[in-house]
Amino acid sequence: MRALPGKASRQPPGPEPVSRAASADDQRRRILEATADLVAEQGFAETTIEQIVRQAKVGYATFYKHYADKEEAFLALLDAALERTAYVVEEAYDREDGPWPDKVGAGLGALLKIAAEHPGVARACLVEAPTAGPEAAARHEAMLKRFAPLLRPGRELNPRADKLPASLEETLAGGVLWVINQRLMAGEAAKLRALLPEALEFLLRPYVGEEVAAREAGGAEAIGG
Amino acid sequence: MADGELGPLPAGRHGFTREQVAHNQRERLIAGLATAVAGKGYRAVTITDITKQARVSRRVFYENFEGKEECFLAAFEVVVGHIQELAMEAGGPSDSWPERAVASAAAVLRFFAEEPDLARLCLVESQAAGPVVAARFHETVSGVVPYLEQGRGERPEAQNLPPTTEDSTLGALVLLASRKVVAGEAEQLEEVLPDFAEFILAPYIGAEAASRIARPQAA
Repeated sequence: MRALPGKASRQPPGPEPVSRAASADDQRRRILEATADLVAEQGFAETTIEQIVRQAKVGYATFYKHYADKEEAFLALLDAALERTAYVVEEAYDREDGPWPDKVGAGLGALLKIAAEHPGVARACLVEAPTAGPEAAARHEAMLKRFAPLLRPGRELNPRADKLPASLEETLAGGVLWVINQRLMAGEAAKLRALLPEALEFLLRPYVGEEVAAREAGGAEAIGG
Repeated sequence: MADGELGPLPAGRHGFTREQVAHNQRERLIAGLATAVAGKGYRAVTITDITKQARVSRRVFYENFEGKEECFLAAFEVVVGHIQELAMEAGGPSDSWPERAVASAAAVLRFFAEEPDLARLCLVESQAAGPVVAARFHETVSGVVPYLEQGRGERPEAQNLPPTTEDSTLGALVLLASRKVVAGEAEQLEEVLPDFAEFILAPYIGAEAASRIARPQAA
């Protein structure tokens, strides 16, 4: 097949070769997936680099090319998971055109969904991060801070907004993460999505009052997440 | 709980029975762990750090505990037991449920504010001391659920609260308190009592009544 004149220079030269960059990405992805699985299964302290390279099917040299030690691999995993989760949640929140409670429901639904779909990563982030040293715990803190702006607009719906504590948003986000954490510790990732109505009611109540919060939660239940 | 001030056991005839000495050694090891953990954090603490603080031998340590984790759990239980007593004794016998709940929360926050090292042990290190201790920490927090559930009897509306209300509320506050400790603000924990009290009570007695009880001076 001949390229049309003038277009040849823009055609890729034959089949795309496996580029060095793509294979490095793939190596990192495999290392992080293996780290997530192992940390979720047996805890951060018990996880060794030997186990990670075996499960990721990469050599030691490859591991050390990307990460200095297992802490660095775990932090990279937390950063990637936090970014991904925040993106998915914010995107669901933004895409929802309805009023603010619906937006919160959409964001919360996305959070529960991603945690249910990736229980190993979720467990690594929520259960293990606080136990894996101050750097990892700081990621946990960053996660709470990241969700706060999505809740803050609720203050406009509350006539007593000036009396709400400044820490309310992070407190509420903490409550939801705590319950997700509990489910993950109990090995009940499959039940996470069923939490949507009650977690939504918990998040909305301080802003819109109990009646509206319960009604919104009922709506979320009817839709089935 | 300034057990760190205990001196070494006097050698020779101190008139204690063997059980009394053993009990005392165990307590000193627990206090030693608390001091050592306050100094450098659970993960960095070694058995030597603990035995040095406790001024007992390694052999005595291993007679009492299998390792660092078991010693930490023992310390955690001692502190939690003390906090539970404070919470139970808080408030008067004729107090209503909301008043008792606020008095208990106040007692716990006061303890943490006065004992920042033990607050750290309980709220922060326990989450960072590995999966066994972290699970124990979660169990302990869940142990408070039945006391909060009593609030469901306060109003008909409260009976329809979602089942996870207590867990979410407790988890939210425990995380808030532990983040304050991490930020070095344990001493200020007493100041957040009105926020805590309102957050605890609102689902059960309604936002306005909760605000009245939590912030009597503002009313």
